[in-house]
Amino acid sequence: MPLVRLGEPGPWTNYHGTGVCEDATRHALRSGYATRGRDELAAAASDVRQWLAAAQAAGKRVRPLGAGWSPSNVNICSGAWLLHTRRFNRCFRIADSDVRPGVDSAGLLLIEAGALVDEVSDKLEEQGRSLWTSGAGNGQTFAGAAATGTHGSMVARGGIQDHIRAVQIVTPSGIHWIEPAAGLMNDAFVAATGSIALRDDDLFAAVQLPVGALGIVTALVIDSVPKFLVRPIQNLRKVDCATLDWLSAGNFRRFSAAYALDREPDFVQMIVNPFKPFKRPAMLRFLYREEWRPDYPRATPGQMGAGYDALSLLGKLLDDYPWARGALLQFAMKQGYAAGPDVDDPPVYGTWGEGLDTHRPLADLFNASVTIDRGELARVFELICAVYTRHGGSTAVTIRFMERAEGLLAPARFEHNAVIDFDGPRSQRTADAYARVVELLDREGVAFTRHWAKSCSLDAARIAGDYGDDLTRWRAARDRLLPDPAHRALFGSPVLDGLGLTV
Amino acid sequence: MDWVGWGLAALGFALLFGQYLAAQADTFVSIANPRPLDEESMTVTMRWWGLAAESHQPFVTPESDHGLCDVRVYITRKQVLTAIATFGAVRPVTVAWRAHAGILPLGDA
Ligand SMILES: Cc1cc2nc3c(=O)[nH]c(=O)nc-3n(C[C@H](O)[C@H](O)[C@H](O)COP(=O)(O)OP(=O)(O)OC[C@H]3O[C@@H](n4cnc5c(N)ncnc54)[C@H](O)[C@@H]3O)c2cc1C
Repeated sequence: MPLVRLGEPGPWTNYHGTGVCEDATRHALRSGYATRGRDELAAAASDVRQWLAAAQAAGKRVRPLGAGWSPSNVNICSGAWLLHTRRFNRCFRIADSDVRPGVDSAGLLLIEAGALVDEVSDKLEEQGRSLWTSGAGNGQTFAGAAATGTHGSMVARGGIQDHIRAVQIVTPSGIHWIEPAAGLMNDAFVAATGSIALRDDDLFAAVQLPVGALGIVTALVIDSVPKFLVRPIQNLRKVDCATLDWLSAGNFRRFSAAYALDREPDFVQMIVNPFKPFKRPAMLRFLYREEWRPDYPRATPGQMGAGYDALSLLGKLLDDYPWARGALLQFAMKQGYAAGPDVDDPPVYGTWGEGLDTHRPLADLFNASVTIDRGELARVFELICAVYTRHGGSTAVTIRFMERAEGLLAPARFEHNAVIDFDGPRSQRTADAYARVVELLDREGVAFTRHWAKSCSLDAARIAGDYGDDLTRWRAARDRLLPDPAHRALFGSPVLDGLGLTV
Repeated sequence: MDWVGWGLAALGFALLFGQYLAAQADTFVSIANPRPLDEESMTVTMRWWGLAAESHQPFVTPESDHGLCDVRVYITRKQVLTAIATFGAVRPVTVAWRAHAGILPLGDA
């Protein structure tokens, strides 16, 4: 029996402690020991379907949970039946005989929805393969990370959901296997997973980024690239504000040549102290991709510069001594960030997975972001920092870059995107300051979107404006998958209802 | 010789205050490749300077059949103050841990 009940009803708190599901009945989906992945999926999906029917009969809403990392509370629903998925985490090789003619199975991996990004990375690397991007940490479940469009700063890549090639999703009315219209897995395989195949581009683009509103994702087929090495350079440098023009234009090579190696970087990230961002040293991180070779000198994630949210420890001080915020932030950046290998240090290398760290909770964090067209960066970045600090924002500000991501509701919807993150100690003042940044962008007429998982204070009207026709298509896909309003309500929650995704 | 008394009192206070601050630091032990489930925690109260110990719940977590990923031991501000006020006779400590989700070998689809 893959689905078990955990303990008595009670409160469940998400990872960052931003939300509590009061009076939650907790259940867990667990992997079994079936020899073939498809048999395991058939058993689990059938259990999940029965569980959904039982929840509905009991008049309860349901909420699937990944690692519970989303501070936006898209993972919170009081009084609901919760489904913990982290122990549903097996991964399976896909053979040529499982896919449709013409599909190359070499890079494909079948994963259960609760597998952590770290687990998936490890399993891919065992086979000489790799993810091509992911977030800054790797402790999310793959399904949970994709559900909110998690991204990193690989400048030529989109979001983590771009890896997805097929989704098994369970609703009260059925077990669905959703793929693009061109198809992927063969009919015998899909049937063996207990699913009905739905091959449709819009449905697929909707379930690539479902925000937890379309059903319970039980499995994913993901794609990969051949395993590669990255060489990180991480340093503290005073950055000239004129470089914003280079970054806006996508001239990452020039930026890299000025502050790190004279090579085309694959990953560029800049963390600034918003109090005088170009007068105080910024923390820069570059990754340079190289062919994989077995004899590279191994480095720990710490030596690779993983884990950049050390600022969380400063929370209390920043709140207690607002007059010292600029200096304290700079001190923290120096302490927490200077460890990475610089240009003159002996080079260290690692695979994509080795450069990431499973995060450990240290203190209460605030995470919010805005995603803008990269071309607007030079015009608005200094204005953003000025408004943010003037109104009491006390976090570092990070700029990351990515290309348009897949999924109808992907926040990275510009051709080239700059994502500006406000990550650091949580306080009301910081949340208010972030709201002023949002007002500023509106005033300046800058189009932007916000992260589904972060504390970005989204609402239905705003989302309708931000996603326009793509939201209409997403809702049409949802209504095909969940034609019965009662079934849509089953996956609702105060937050998701408020976003207009489940009503 | 008043100043000697005041000096000793100040030193005593400084020693105590240092302990108060230092006691709140986390001690954290983790395995190298964690796959953590949710954090669980319990309070263990040392009584009579360690002659007796009492935990409010047994050290059992329902999902720990794959072992633990990490353990954090810390003392909250309130717990330190309790220890100080009782001359160390009652010393509560919080132990938090995350169980391991398990790593299963790569299978065939
Ligand atoms: C330390 C830290 C670092 C982070 N770094 C980044 C970063 O670099 N870039 C970035 O973009 N984001 C980042 N985030 C945000 C994070 O990636 C997202 O919050 C992500 O959604 C978390 O995944 P999760 O597994 O914890 O999902 P949860 O938070 O548990 O769930 C997210 C949503 O998905 C739904 N869901 C989960 N599993 C399923 C399932 N099986 N079926 C259907 N719905 C499901 C939930 O109901 C919820 O609506 C970070 C967060 C933290 C805490």
